Parts: sequence; C-alpha cells; structure tokens
Amino acid sequence: MLSWPKPPGDARLSACHFCDTLHRFSPVEEGISARCVRCGGLLYENRAASLTRASAFSLAALLLMVLVHTFPFLIMDAASMRRNLTLTGAASALMHQDAPLLGASIILFTVVTPLMLAGGMIYVCLPLLFGRAAPGANFAAKWMYRSEPWNMVEVFLLGVLVSLLKLVKVADVHFGIGFWAFAGVMLCMAAALAGIDREELWDRLEVAKP
Amino acid sequence: MKQPIIKASDHGLAGCHTCGKVSPVELGRCPRCGTQLHLRKPDSIESTIALMAAAAALYIPSHLLPVMTVVEIGVVTPSTIIGGMMTFWRSGAYPIALVIFAASILIPLLKIASLSWLCAAAGGWVHPSPAALGRIYWFTELLGRWSMIDIFVVGILVSLLQLGNYMAITPGPGALAFAGVVVLTMFAAMRFDPRLLWDRLDQMSAAAPPHPTIPES
Repeated sequence: MLSWPKPPGDARLSACHFCDTLHRFSPVEEGISARCVRCGGLLYENRAASLTRASAFSLAALLLMVLVHTFPFLIMDAASMRRNLTLTGAASALMHQDAPLLGASIILFTVVTPLMLAGGMIYVCLPLLFGRAAPGANFAAKWMYRSEPWNMVEVFLLGVLVSLLKLVKVADVHFGIGFWAFAGVMLCMAAALAGIDREELWDRLEVAKP
Repeated sequence: MKQPIIKASDHGLAGCHTCGKVSPVELGRCPRCGTQLHLRKPDSIESTIALMAAAAALYIPSHLLPVMTVVEIGVVTPSTIIGGMMTFWRSGAYPIALVIFAASILIPLLKIASLSWLCAAAGGWVHPSPAALGRIYWFTELLGRWSMIDIFVVGILVSLLQLGNYMAITPGPGALAFAGVVVLTMFAAMRFDPRLLWDRLDQMSAAAPPHPTIPES
C-alpha cells in the first residue's frame, strides 16, 4: 500500500516528465517505483521511512557544513610558508585577482546551493514528520528542487584531487578535515535527496496542516 | 503489452515542472506550488539552440585563451586547459590527463552535439529511435556539471599558490569563457523539452488508437 496520503479530491493522475503519457495513480509497495508504460521514465517511488531519512541526512549534511567552513581542505607547506585551502578562501582569492564572476560561481555552486538543498530539505521535512507544513514550505520546496542541478559538491571534490596532484610537484600538501567533511556532505545530500520522492513530498505538503 | 496511449496534453492537462501535479493548463499557474503551467516548455527548441550556439561560440576562446598565468621567480607562463592536460600526460599522470580531457574537452562537445541532435529530432529533421534519444537526454543532463572541474582547479591553485615573489598564479580570461560554456550548456539542457520528441513520433505514426484509455501506472 501507498505509505503517504494522497490529497483529497485529487484526480490521481500522473504525467510522465519525459513523454507526457498520462497514468492513473496506483499505490506501489514500499521500495518499488512506478515507471512510465511508454518510455520507462520514473513516475514516482515509494521509499521506506522517507521523511525520517530525508530529515536525518539533511541535518547531518548541515552539521558537516559547519566543519567544512571551519577546517581547511588542503594544507600546503612551500617556500617556508603554510597556506590553507577553504571554499571561501578560494572564492575570495579569485575575487581579489580580478575574477569576481569565477569567485561568485564557486560560492554559488559549492556553498549556497548545498545550503539551499540541505536547509530547504530539513525545513520542509522535519515539520512534515509531525504532519505540519512550515510557513512558506511550498516556496522552500520549490527553490530546493530548482537549486538541485546546480549543486556541484562532488565536482569540487574531484577538483581538489586534481589540484593536489598538480601541487605535489611544488610543495608538501596534505588533506585537512574540511575535505573529509565535504565528502561527508556529498554522501549525506545524495542520501537525503534519494530519501524522499518528489511526488511524495509535494503530496504530503498539500495535505499537511499549516 | 501493447496499450493505447494517451498524453496529458491531449486532455489539456499539464504536469507541473516543479511539483508534478497534473492540472488543466487553463488555470495558468499550478494550484499546488504556483509554478506557471505549460503543455510544453514555450519556445523550447529556439531557446535551446540559441543558448547552445552561445556556448559553442565561447568554447573556442575558452581553449585558446589561458585559464591561468603562472608567475614563477619572475618568469610568466600562461597556461591553457589543453596545455595543463598535456603536462599531466607527459609526466605520466594518465588518469588525471584523461579526467581533464573528458571533463573539459569531450563533455562540452558531446553536450553541444547531443543537444543539436535532440533539437533536430524534435524538429523532425532526423528520425532516430526515441528510446535512444531519452538516454542521450539523460546523459546530457547528468554529465554537464562535471565540466566545472577546471574552474574549481583554477580557483584552488590561485588560492594556494600565492607565495610572494617565489610563485603566484592569477586566473586568465579563458576560465571565465569556460565557466560561460558550462553554465550556458546547462541552461540549454534545461530549456529542452523531451516531450517534443514523443510528439514528433506520434505525429509521424498518425494512426490514432480507437479507444484511448489511461493506463494503470
């Protein structure tokens, strides 16, 4: 049976995002996904303990973000100097070197977007656990899903690895806590987003008490 | 199992881009989340082509101009993306050279090529199988972000290698052009409406099913 309530009076229709084929909504077992009969695209999925998982993993991601901004990603010793790499440090270095747009893109894709995603997820899902919708939850959910394609945490992590390989030739470099915390952010956010189906989240928001 | 298929747009219904709720398109906005409702994304092919053409134009300077300039003990060395990749290749770091090749050279080109192909198919100029097109679209959306890796590498190196007179790195104009390529191709992929591919297919196999029914999902 479907573990989440459908909004009352709902026509219970579902249109495939890829080919627009109309389906009548039918409940699926936990862990089972409904796919489009025509193109095989995912319609919705019934995920186990969805709200709990989404809230827990996004809370973990938020806590790890504190570590990410407190500790460096890389620590480099060269020419009797010690330099640390942080997200904001990389962005401000670019801004000071006449590349404000590049600096802003680092802030946007690795600081703002992950924060919008994890913050939005917990803001929407935590009250939903108690059957309530937080004030402005629709707005938060909308912007959370809009920011999703711009989240580049994993890309930045690979960038750190590539840079490390460039730097080992000129300096003594090692990983800092920030790098591992950011890897944790990546895993937690992936788990949080995979934890709850988009259709389920919006259905729950619609039936929740304000 | 062959079942007659009906589409939401045949009934004037639109699935919301944001929340997925199916509502009559004449409501204008989704009653659940307030997003504008469209049967199909407006001017999808035109805006995809425009954004893609801009990205293709920026792709050339992004590889010709230096992405960063290394000043080492007074010696100024501009470095392009391809130059950086060649350095890794010559020093024997083949996996890293391949990662840079894939992320910076191959993925933007593949993205531009596959979006052109999708636009051509949606416009009816070519007739490939829709299942293959669906895979191409999925792949295009998934891989686009990885090209950003070079911009991040420039940011990281500029931030770390500020060693006074000994060594300093400054970002070059190629980096901005390359970031432009990535962002423009991402917007182009978002503007594309895959449902147009299936509309084209239905138009071509015009034989309408006698009794359309809504299939159980």
